[in-house]
Parts: sequence; structure tokens; C-alpha cells
Amino acid sequence: MKDERYQYEESPSYVSRREFITISGIVIAILALPAVWIRSAVVKRNNYIRARINGLYRDDTGSKVRVSHGNSGVAKLYKDFAGHPLSEVSEELFHTQSYINRTRI
Amino acid sequence: MNAEARTYQKGEIPGIIAINADVCKGCDSCKRYCPTGAITGMFGAIHSIDVEKCINCGQCLINCPFGSIYETVDTVDTVIVKLQDKNVTVVGIPAPAVRVAIGEEFGMADGSLVTKEMYGAMKKAGFEILDNNFAADLTIMEEGTEFIVRARHALFGEEAHGHKVGPLPQFTSCCPAWVRYVETRYPALIPNLSSAKSPQQMAGPLAKTYGALEVWKKPPETIYTVGIMPCTAKKFEASRPEFTSAYHFLKKEGKAGSDTPYPDVDTVLTTRDIARLFKKMKIDFTKVGETDGGPLAEYTGAGTIFGNTGGVMEAAVRTAYKVLTGNELQPLEFKKVRGMKGVKSASVTLMDTKYGKEVTVNLAVVNGIHGNIEPVLESIMAGTSPYHFIEVMNCPGGCVNGGGQPIKSDGSSWLRVALPLFGWK
Repeated sequence: MKDERYQYEESPSYVSRREFITISGIVIAILALPAVWIRSAVVKRNNYIRARINGLYRDDTGSKVRVSHGNSGVAKLYKDFAGHPLSEVSEELFHTQSYINRTRI
Repeated sequence: MNAEARTYQKGEIPGIIAINADVCKGCDSCKRYCPTGAITGMFGAIHSIDVEKCINCGQCLINCPFGSIYETVDTVDTVIVKLQDKNVTVVGIPAPAVRVAIGEEFGMADGSLVTKEMYGAMKKAGFEILDNNFAADLTIMEEGTEFIVRARHALFGEEAHGHKVGPLPQFTSCCPAWVRYVETRYPALIPNLSSAKSPQQMAGPLAKTYGALEVWKKPPETIYTVGIMPCTAKKFEASRPEFTSAYHFLKKEGKAGSDTPYPDVDTVLTTRDIARLFKKMKIDFTKVGETDGGPLAEYTGAGTIFGNTGGVMEAAVRTAYKVLTGNELQPLEFKKVRGMKGVKSASVTLMDTKYGKEVTVNLAVVNGIHGNIEPVLESIMAGTSPYHFIEVMNCPGGCVNGGGQPIKSDGSSWLRVALPLFGWK
């Protein structure tokens, strides 16, 4: 036998299946906004570094000469002054033997 | 400053980077950028920097969300005095990465390439120009040749006359923070560092010898060299006591003109400093117009990419390929070493025409010491490393993101603190 006190009629649902899906979608989208902001902040935080990197690569592609051994100024320097790479002058001015073990100063 | 600094030689500047205790909020962001764990202080308490561990890279400085970290060395006013002195020839040595960042200090877009405007402003301020890109090309000639000598010694047993031949892998030595890192933490690997000086330290003696005598025709002792660098560690590098090679070279020829040794690079300004100098001298960077740099400002595409991560390696590959095979690398872009990955590796197989043998060279590029370097160095110490040539740059992205560059604080530094909590790198 049923207990009369717990008998009531449920009001019929006015939200159809499609409406339910739509509403859920909107709720999830609102919940997801902060995640998108965070993600875009994460992605954008290094954009200025990439912009500078691309700036230098543009400088490279725009250069007439793109290899160090093609630099006529450096070639002239070797011809008039330093001789050749690793020459005595080069060793004296452009190389160092003075890296030191700083754990023992 | 710190008189008891143990890891500094006499004459070197200790503690270039310092934290202003009045401003520090103890947010811990800087610790996530410090490559050596030099920053101490609990979360929420005022932080401080251990000068013995600090390698002066300035990553904490450009990433502090509160701007509480500052440089203790500021020579802008000294340089202005020198520029106004008619008896002194001030030579500016602008690094590759400066030309794509200085525009930002004058309201231009990020990454604007303003080489000619930079020359114009420097000429107007009274500088002679020795472009550090010229010295970068010179570095490639020296360092690339050194690598070929080391590789031929290791592979074919070739003897070099009059040189000590170092072991492989060869490390690049352009980054002063990296050099200090090796010197303080891995002294056993010092012989692996290229003996070639950094471009700045090649440019200094170049200006005081070749530049003074052959180009500007001025007495060497009246040349005042100013490194214009994206870097705080360069200030430390310029103060290293051994870098007086121009003086000793000229002394032997009786042309030094002085009895007290003078440094190769007299002082260093960061990108922020030089922008401040232009503003103090009332030079409107946006209106100076384009100027050529003169005979010692000639540079190639290989020299200019030194400012990017992987750039030194790419430039070295272009030249070494030509020297070994006799042909130019095709295509010239060596894309495997580009990009923001932490450790990038590549290998090149080429014919050494001198020995008629094919060789495979394994290369690695470490983009940012923080979090990337230790496995690489440990494998070298253990003798299991496959690499022959390794480029190391302290700052992520290379010099373009150096500690002396314009600060682009968009308040996102804390992300480095938060991201690991979510397993997001």
C-alpha cells in the first residue's frame, strides 16, 4: 500500500533534449572562458621574443652576403693586419687562455 | 660592494644584479628564471641574490613583475662626458640583438629592425661605430677554424703547430653568463670552451689596434670603447682583468702610449642604458634618419643571427661547410637549430676534402641554461655525449631576450610559477 503523503504529480519538463544540450553548452562555454584567457596569456607571453627573433632573421635574409667568410671587411682585416684565423696576431688579440677555475680562487 | 667575494678575480665587478628590498614582494617569480638558484628567500619574504652563485644574466631583472630588481652599474653619465671630450674617440660596439629591440624603447613595434636609425642616433651622439656583427663574423672565422682543428685532431690525429688542441665537444664562448657558469660549476669542462673570445671582447682590441691605427688614425690610448649590449653579464665580462690584450700587443710595438694597462672594452651599456643616453642627449630616435655605419660596420647575415638562439651554430655551419667541402651550404638556412625548444640537436654529414673522407658532425644548441643544461653536461662528464659542437646561450630565445633588453612586463611572469602546478610547460 502506498503512503499517500508522498504522492504528488511532477510538473512536466519544459526543457527539451535539444534545449538542454544548448543550455549546457552555454554554461560550459562560460566556465571555460578563464581557461581560454590563461591559455592565450601563456601562448602570447613570449611573442615579443619571437618578434625580435624574426627581426634578426629578416636582417639575415635581406643581407647581400650571408656567410661570414664572404665579409670583405673581415677579409681585408686578415689581409692587412691579422694574417689568417689562428695566426699569432689572432691568438694574441682574439683568443684567450684565461678561463679560470672559480671554485678555487 | 662585497669585499669577500670568493668567485671573483681582483678588478671584476661583483653583484651587478641586486634586489631592492623596499620593493620586493617575495612572489618567487624570479626564482623560476634564475639558472643557478642564486636567489634566496622564502615565499612572501624579501628575496636576495647570492653574488657567488649569480652569473649576472639578468633574467630575474627583466621578469620581475614588480620591477624590484636593478643593475648596480650605471655608466651612462660617464659615457656622455667622454662623448663631449674632443680628445677622446668613443667607439660604440652595438650587438646584433640591440637593433631589433631598441625601437621598443621609442614606441616602435616589437622586433622592429632599426639598424640604420641606430647608426644615425649613435653618429649624432658622437660615436664612431664598430658593429659587433663585424666582430661576430670574425668570431665565426676564428671559432669555426678552431672547431675544424679540434675535429681533425680528434678524428684524423692531425697535429696543430704551436697550438694546444682542446677536446671535443667544443662549447661556444660568446655568452659571458655561460662562461661564468662553467667556471663556477663545471671547472673540469673549461678546456672544452672555445678559446675564441666573445665578439665584444674581439671588437675591443680590434678597435684599439686595427681601428685606431688603420681606420680612424687616432692614438690608441685615446680610443674609448663602449659595448652596447643586450646583456648585463657583458658588464662583468668587460671587467675581467685579463682583457687588456690590445695594450700588451701595442706595448710590444711601442705604440701603447701609456704605462698603465687599459681595458679592451672600457665600459658596457645595455640596450636600456643606450636608450636612456639618447633621451638624455635629446636625440629623437624616431627622427634621426638612416645613416651608414662606416668601414667597420660591414656585416653579413651570418653575423647578425648571433643574437638568436641557434644563430652562432647556424653561422658556424655555413662557414665550416664551405671550408671543408669547398661548396656553399644549400640551402643556407639551417632550420634544425632554430626555434624555442630547450635543447635542439642536428647532425651534418659532409666530405672533408682534405682527407677525402666523409664525416658526420653532431651539433647541439642549448636554448636557456635554466632547466636544460645539466643533463647535457652530465652526459659529457660521463663520456656518453654524442655531440661534437655545442652552442649554449643563457637566455631563452638567445640574446634578443637578454637581461639588458627593454623590459616587456605584461605581468605574465607568475605563469612560470603557476604552470608547473598543472603539469604545463
